[in-house]
Amino acid sequence: MSPSAHDALSNSANKPAGKSADHEGGQMRHRAEQVAAALPPLLIAAQRVAASVAPGIHGRRRVGTGETFWQFRRYVQGDPANRIDWRQSGKTQGVFVRETEWEAAQSVWLWRDLSPSMAYRSTLSDETKQDRTSLLLLALASILVRGGEHIALLGEDRIARAGRTALDRMTLSMIREDDRTSDPSLPPQVRLPRYGHLVLMSDFLSPFEDIERVVRHYAAMGVSGHLLQVLDPAEETLPFSGRIRFEGLEGEGDYLATRAERLRASYEARLDALRKSLTDLCAAVGWTFGHHRTDVSPQTALLALYSSFSETIL
Amino acid sequence: MLTIGPLAFALPWMLVALAILPVIWWLLQVTPPAPRRIIFPAIRLLFGLAAREETLARTPWWLMLLRLFLAALIIVALARPLINPGARLAGDGTLLFVVDNGWSAGGNWADRSEMLATLIEQAERTDRIVAVMTTAALAEGGPIEVSNLMPARDARQLIEKIVPVPWPIDRAAALAALKDVALPGPVESIWLSDGLINDGSAAATKDLAETLMRLGPASIILDEAVNRAKLLPPPDTTGAVLTATVHLPLAALAETEVTVRAITESGQVLARAPAQFEAGTVSATAEFDLPSEARNKIVRLEIEGEGTAGAVVLLDERWRRRPVGLVSGGSLEQAQPLLSDTYYLGRALEPTAALHTGNLDDLIDAGLAVLILADVGQVVISDRDALTDWMDRGGVLVRFAGPKLAESDGDLLPVELRRGTRGLSGALTWTVPLRLGAFGEESPFFGLDVPDDVLVSRQILAEPALDLNDRTWARLADGTPLVTAQRKGQGWLVMFHVTATPAWSNLPLSGLFVEMMQRVVALSQGVSGARESEAIPPLRLLDGFGQLGAPGPGARPAPPEIFDDAKVGPGHAPGFYGQTESRRALNLSAGLEPPRLLDDVIGNMRREAYGTSAEFNLLPWLLVAAMITVMIDILAGMILAGQLRRSVGSVASIALALFIFTAIDRGANAQGSAQGNDSFALDATLDTRLAYAITGDPAIDEMSRAGLTGLSQMLTLRTAIEPALPMAVNVETDELAFFALIYWPIDPGQVDLSPEALAKIDAYMKNGGTILFDTRDQQYVQTSPTGRQSLTSANGPGAMRLREILAGLDIPPLVPVPSDHVLTKAFYLLTDFPGRWDGGTLWVQRHAGGSNDGVSSIIIGANDFAAAWALDETGRAIAAVVPGGANQREMAFRFGINLMMYAHTGNYKADQVHIPAILERLGQ
Repeated sequence: MSPSAHDALSNSANKPAGKSADHEGGQMRHRAEQVAAALPPLLIAAQRVAASVAPGIHGRRRVGTGETFWQFRRYVQGDPANRIDWRQSGKTQGVFVRETEWEAAQSVWLWRDLSPSMAYRSTLSDETKQDRTSLLLLALASILVRGGEHIALLGEDRIARAGRTALDRMTLSMIREDDRTSDPSLPPQVRLPRYGHLVLMSDFLSPFEDIERVVRHYAAMGVSGHLLQVLDPAEETLPFSGRIRFEGLEGEGDYLATRAERLRASYEARLDALRKSLTDLCAAVGWTFGHHRTDVSPQTALLALYSSFSETIL
Repeated sequence: MLTIGPLAFALPWMLVALAILPVIWWLLQVTPPAPRRIIFPAIRLLFGLAAREETLARTPWWLMLLRLFLAALIIVALARPLINPGARLAGDGTLLFVVDNGWSAGGNWADRSEMLATLIEQAERTDRIVAVMTTAALAEGGPIEVSNLMPARDARQLIEKIVPVPWPIDRAAALAALKDVALPGPVESIWLSDGLINDGSAAATKDLAETLMRLGPASIILDEAVNRAKLLPPPDTTGAVLTATVHLPLAALAETEVTVRAITESGQVLARAPAQFEAGTVSATAEFDLPSEARNKIVRLEIEGEGTAGAVVLLDERWRRRPVGLVSGGSLEQAQPLLSDTYYLGRALEPTAALHTGNLDDLIDAGLAVLILADVGQVVISDRDALTDWMDRGGVLVRFAGPKLAESDGDLLPVELRRGTRGLSGALTWTVPLRLGAFGEESPFFGLDVPDDVLVSRQILAEPALDLNDRTWARLADGTPLVTAQRKGQGWLVMFHVTATPAWSNLPLSGLFVEMMQRVVALSQGVSGARESEAIPPLRLLDGFGQLGAPGPGARPAPPEIFDDAKVGPGHAPGFYGQTESRRALNLSAGLEPPRLLDDVIGNMRREAYGTSAEFNLLPWLLVAAMITVMIDILAGMILAGQLRRSVGSVASIALALFIFTAIDRGANAQGSAQGNDSFALDATLDTRLAYAITGDPAIDEMSRAGLTGLSQMLTLRTAIEPALPMAVNVETDELAFFALIYWPIDPGQVDLSPEALAKIDAYMKNGGTILFDTRDQQYVQTSPTGRQSLTSANGPGAMRLREILAGLDIPPLVPVPSDHVLTKAFYLLTDFPGRWDGGTLWVQRHAGGSNDGVSSIIIGANDFAAAWALDETGRAIAAVVPGGANQREMAFRFGINLMMYAHTGNYKADQVHIPAILERLGQ
């Protein structure tokens, strides 16, 4: 076996080097929009009405600020005079005020794992977990923007923005972030507006307690969320055999397996257990959990995300 | 040295190291193989899975065993194991090697040198002091002597230099040399002998053996008796066949066969002849019965498989068949051969000499050895001078008497002759024909039996002279000379006093005549092989193995007398001497007596044989085995570490797949092509078939097939030609010769033909085939304004393409079909030749005349004939004819039938058979 093949099977850090940031960003954005093009704009199902929520295009089926006509009603004392619909008033008796449907946008906070372990790629897959995560994140953002939602990068942006410019900003900051490889594996715990949405994409291979703490922190704020676990196929199936010294990427230490193939069953059991506890955790706080492999099409993951966001509204 | 049965260890103490094997076992057990390193992000999930697995991290028992085996192999190898360790060198004093390195050692030298190497290695191991003596002088010409005493290590270099020399050994000189030196202490001597003596050397050999035995323990190493050197003396060339005698040193125990090879200058084996030994005989002959020319090409005879200088005979001019010239004074040769002067001479000399007949002028300069003038009277002066000069250089001139000589002046004669003849029988004489007298001892004919029935009835008498007696080789019973001779320079002038025909005596009819002529011819040296007086430089010399090579530094020019008594020795190796064009051969075997076995004279000396129980050093083999074990170990380690599984699997499967694929592919190809060729030939020949050339355009090819099918049906219906289904012919690959006519539609897009295909088409047309080219472009043709017909100006696309295709062919001159051409009357009477189109000109060869039975080898039309002939399964026409009508199609079929008749039957319709009918029709 040639050394290069050996490295490729076991190794990691396939970070594209030397490309210009603009070019790279354009490419990533382009791919993400290609992936997202298959789905209609995503309107997040708003479960709660909150005044704090910035206006958006979600019809709230009640009177409020918005563009869509909702109803005419009799003028009552106190209505501003400029709200009077003179044409309607002229057609009938009395004075009518034109009311529009209240439309509100959801703000969605997105986060992806940038820890060294995400830069891993085995020979079974074509791209690193990080690349796949970035792609999914941008695709999701693209759908959201098309739906008129407000998006923001968790830990990066302080307020959520809407429109194509928001997508551009996000793309640029993601490119900036790509250079940071030593981020922690878990999102920062910051304050988010109530009733916001949070999407966390990671391999979630950190200790479960840490993950739980983060999730509970945000759940306590009334934020609803979704966890997407992105794994390399090698991490899912442990396709190694023979005598192997496994080494971690984030200083976890190493592990010597005399017959790696014999570990496979118990490893898979462990992985399933981890996923089960993540699912349980999410269910407990009303969040959702999904997982994704880098060797399958990104559309599947995106579709899953889409449906989990919009299920309540559809 | 530790000896266990046939196995011994030169360094037995190394075996102690075997005791460390258990330590190695323990070390191996605690050291598992090195793991591979793999970076794995999900390592956290692996933690804690560990403990249960770690206990398995042992090297598997079979790998341990393999490694222990490896260690043992290396240890045993270091102990220097030997199989069949030589125990010959028992003592520890001085060691004397006596090596017979004469000519007889060359045949089995490999065994000898191996034996020497083994012995010297043993001597080296035991640190013996060694002296070496060879019994034949070395090539440099130094005397035979005993070398200085030296350690075995130094003696090895000396011994490695010993090679067999191509001359005899000299045991007497060796004995003297041995007596000259004083060797210290008891001397253990080993005599690597050739096992041969001859009459001259028996006594010296006996003395040498006794001397050696006196010095200390002595042993002699001998070949098997049947393997000792055979001797091949120079062959006997006097008879009709070349006879080579082979001498064995030992009487053959059973009937055996030894093969002698005759080899030419270029090293080619010209002939092999067996020498059959009866049981109990020591010599046998091999006979080469070859024509003169072939026999004169032999430069070397050798015993097959011997490889000694004594088994090689080099042949020079002396062994060649002499070129003999025959000149007759008569003129009856052609008409009445039995009366011809040269007929009997020719018959007598033919088996043993190369005969040349002709005029005297032509033959004098032809480099002859013997010139026979049968009844030539006067020799012109210029010829006489030339003949005298030629005889001085070694030529033998033989003259026969006859009526013309009897009346001539008589010069160029060995003795003075009386004019006229002496008649011994006749109507008017009382005397009776005389018999021959016995040959004198000085005569070259001495020893030949004189038959009683050889009678001489007429002869020419010699004038009595003082030296007549000396010059007489044969007499009649009454003492009158019959054959006289005189030495002329290096040659001879010989006179037979009778004719070479039975006219004067019946001597030419007798076997004696043949023998006498052979003796005369044998007198000649051959002019080109003339003797020289000064020393002759060596040209190419034999080495000790009987191989010719360039002379070495020790070779010296050989004085001529050496060639006479064949004194071969240091400095005068056997071989060729002189110049390339006139070389002389010096043969070792010419001066040797047949050898005998030496076993009887050496008394009770200890005897051993070569080649038995050679010491065999196991060290390299054990190291190779260790190397292989290391590789297996590496491989096993890689498999265990999981590094190899995928690559081995994939490489193996790819290799297997490739192998199977190529094998199947090749097999299929070979089968396919072979079967294809055969089946094509069978299909084409078992039935008469029409054929069309494939253009590559499926539509055109299909139309050709349908057209010829339709024509075949019409032929079957109407004529005696009943063709089977038509065949498609690929002019590039298929054989064309099976078809009388090939229909070839021209496709404007047709690819150019390869040169091979053009050559094939050319051969097909030249050898009687006919090709109908159909340019199918009549609809495009613009009628020339002049109305003049010309194929070269034809401007249809098919015609233009046809011109390009045929550019490389030798096309005969073409004309439009003349009105009286056979095509117009081969079956139907036709005036024009329509196809799908009408009006195109049909071109044929202008002078089909003599060759191919008058059938034009090329016919060119433009009317798309196949389309007109094409019928579908139900018998309906496929293509419409233009301008149209059943009549045009019928005429097209009639042309097709005429064409096939023409191609198949030739020009017989060109004769006048139809003239009455034609006249009758014309009359109407």
